[in-house]
Amino acid sequence: MTTVLRTEELRKQFGDLVATDDVSLEFDDQHVTSIIGPNGAGKTTFYNLLTGVLQPTSGEIWLRKDGDMTEITDAEPHEVARSGLSRSYQITNIFEGLTVRENLQVARIAHEGRTFDMRSRPDADEELNEEIDDLMELTNLTEIAETKCDTLSHGEKRNVEIALALAIEPSVFLLDEPTAGMNPTETEEIVSLIRELNRDIDATFIVTEHDMGVVTDISDRIVVLAEGAVLADGEPEAVLSDERVTEAYLGSETV
Amino acid sequence: MSTQNDGLVDRIGNVGRQAIGNGWTTERFALLGLLALVVVSVGPQFQVYLFTEFLIIALFAVAFNLLYGYTGLLSFGHAMFFGAGAYGLAIVLRDYQSAIAEIVGTGLAPLATFVVGGIAGVALALLIAIPVGYLSVRLEEIYFALITLAFGMLFYSLLLQDPYGLTNGSDGIFVALGGVELGGTEFRLAGRRIYYYITATVVTISIYGIWRIVNSPFGTICKALRESPDRAAALGINVSVHRWMTFIVSALFVSIAGVLIAGFSSVATPNEAHWSMSATPVVATVIGGASYFGGPIVGAFLYHYVRWGISRFPALEAYWELFFGIMLIVVVLYFKQGAAGGLAMVGAWLRNVQAAYDRGGANAATAFVRESIGEKLGSMMSRSTTGRSDDGGTDR
Ligand SMILES: Nc1ncnc2c1ncn2[C@@H]1O[C@H](COP(=O)(O)OP(=O)(O)OP(=O)(O)O)[C@@H](O)[C@H]1O
Ligand SMILES: [Mg+2]
Repeated sequence: MTTVLRTEELRKQFGDLVATDDVSLEFDDQHVTSIIGPNGAGKTTFYNLLTGVLQPTSGEIWLRKDGDMTEITDAEPHEVARSGLSRSYQITNIFEGLTVRENLQVARIAHEGRTFDMRSRPDADEELNEEIDDLMELTNLTEIAETKCDTLSHGEKRNVEIALALAIEPSVFLLDEPTAGMNPTETEEIVSLIRELNRDIDATFIVTEHDMGVVTDISDRIVVLAEGAVLADGEPEAVLSDERVTEAYLGSETV
Repeated sequence: MSTQNDGLVDRIGNVGRQAIGNGWTTERFALLGLLALVVVSVGPQFQVYLFTEFLIIALFAVAFNLLYGYTGLLSFGHAMFFGAGAYGLAIVLRDYQSAIAEIVGTGLAPLATFVVGGIAGVALALLIAIPVGYLSVRLEEIYFALITLAFGMLFYSLLLQDPYGLTNGSDGIFVALGGVELGGTEFRLAGRRIYYYITATVVTISIYGIWRIVNSPFGTICKALRESPDRAAALGINVSVHRWMTFIVSALFVSIAGVLIAGFSSVATPNEAHWSMSATPVVATVIGGASYFGGPIVGAFLYHYVRWGISRFPALEAYWELFFGIMLIVVVLYFKQGAAGGLAMVGAWLRNVQAAYDRGGANAATAFVRESIGEKLGSMMSRSTTGRSDDGGTDR
C-alpha cells in the first residue's frame, strides 16, 4: 500500500466563507474513496484545489510522481494533469462543438505531448485512432464516435466526460459526481464502468457522489465533508452509522 | 455514394460541397489553384488586377480566422502584421536593393530583393507577434480584442510619427519591384499578369499550409481551446502557450498577405496598419462564415466584389459602407454561419426540393417550396426578437 496523494492542512477561504477547512487527508493506491457531504460541503472546491484551478489560502498538496512524492501546491492545472492527476466534472465540461472521436483525440494528443505537431493528421493516424477505438469500446461510445457532442443526450455526454479524463492515463482519477443527472439505468452503467476501470487500470479512484446506493456500492472508504471540514473518515459501515453523519445530512436535507 | 439515379441537383450539390466544404484534399487544392490561375489569366487586365487583390484579402482573412474561428480569439489588431509585411518589403527594396545587386547581379536583383524583402516582412511580423502575443493571450474575449486593438494603434502611430526616420511618415514608402533579366528573357515583376501569378502561387501555398495546420494535432488543440479552455488545461494542455503559438502562426501568414499588398499597390503606407484595416478580415470572416475553412474566402470574395460592384455606380459609392452594414446585420441576425453556411443550407434545401419532386412531381415540389419558405420566414421573425439563429455548421 503506497500513498499517492496527500493534503496537509489544506484551506480555502472565499472572503469569510471557509470552503475547505484545514483538510489533511491521505489516499493510497489500494482503496476507492468516496467523498460525500451535503450540498455546499466543499467537495468540488477540494477538487479544484487539488487540480490547481484554485490557489489554496494555506496548506500543501503532494502527489506521487515517478515514484516520489512531489509538492504540487502551486502547480498550474496543465502541470497537475501532466503529473498524473485527472478529473471529471460535476457540470459536464467537454468540447461540445467537436465529435466524440475528436474530443478523445484532443486528450490523446495532449497525453502524447504532440500539441505542437503541425504536420501529421489525427484523422489519418491509425495508432492514435486505434487507442481511441479501444477507449470508446470501454466507455460505450463506439456507436456515437462520429457524432458532434452538442447533439448527444445527457447520459452520453457524461460518458464522454469520463472518457476524456481517462484518456490521459491518470495515476489518480478524481470523479466529481459521475452520475449527476442520470437515470437509474445510466447510473447502473456508470457504476459498473467504475468497477471495471478500478479492476483493469492502474489508477487510484476518488469519487464524490450524492447517490448513497452508488457510494456503498463502490467504496472501500468514505470521507464525509461538512462545511469544508472532515467530519468522518473510515470504512463505509462505520462512517454511515456515525450519528454526526446522519445529522449533517438530515440537517441539510430539511433546509 | 453517388449512383446513376442521383438527381441533377444532388450531383451539382456534391461537386459544390467537395469544392468548398469538408474533405479538401491536396489534389483538390492544386486543382482549384490551377483553375483560378488559368481562368483569370486569360481575362481582361483589370479583372486580373481585381482578382489579385481578392486573393490577398482572402489570405489575410483565412490567416486571421485561424485565431478567431478555430481558436476562439477575436483579434482587432491584425493590421499590425499586414503593415509589418508591407513595410518589411518596402524598407528592404529602398535600402538594400543595390547591396543585393552586388551579390546576385543586376539581372536577378529585383527578384532576389523581393524574396529578401518578403522574408524581412515576415521576420518583422514575427518580432512583433512574439511579445504582443505573449501579453495578449493572457486575456480573453473583449479584453483580448481591446489589447490587440491597442497594440495595433501603437504600431500605426509609430509608422505615422516615424521617430527613427525609417517609415517616411504618412506618405509611406514607394515600392518599385523592377524588371528581371534572366537569360534572354525580361519581365517586370509588377506587371499585372506576372504579379498575379506570383500572388496566386504564394496565396495558394499559404492557404494550403493553414489548411494543413488546422487539420493537424496542433489545429485539433486550437479547436479544443475554442470550445473549453479550462477542460483543455485539465487534460494537460498549456492554454496560454498554445494560444501564443497560434497567435504567432496567424500573424506570420497575415504578414505574407502584407508583403503581397505592398507589391500590389506599389506603396506601403500607415493605412495598411490602420485599425480599420484590422476590421477587414473580421468583416470578411463574419460574412463568409467563421466555422468553415472556406468561409473567409467566400467572405473576402463578397466583400471585395460587392465593393467593386458598388464603386461602378458613382451615385452609390459614397454609401458602400451602408451596404456592408446591411449585409452584416442580415448575416449576424439570420445566418450565424455566414455565406458559406448559407450556401450549405441552400444546397440542403435544393436536395429536399429534388426529393419532393421525385416523390410527388412538380406539385409536391412547389408545395414543399412554399411551405419551407413560409416556415423560414416565420422563424426569422421570431428569431429577430428572441436572439440569434444557429444553423449548425462544421469545422475543417
Ligand atoms: N469560486 C467561488 N467563489 C465563492 N464561493 C465559492 C466558490 N466556489 C465555491 N464557493 C462556495 O464554497 C462552498 C462549497 O462549494 P462546493 O461547490 O465546493 O460544494 P460541493 O460540496 O461541491 O456542493 P455540491 O454537492 O452542490 O456540488 C459553497 O458555499 C459555495 O458557494
Ligand atoms: Mg460539487
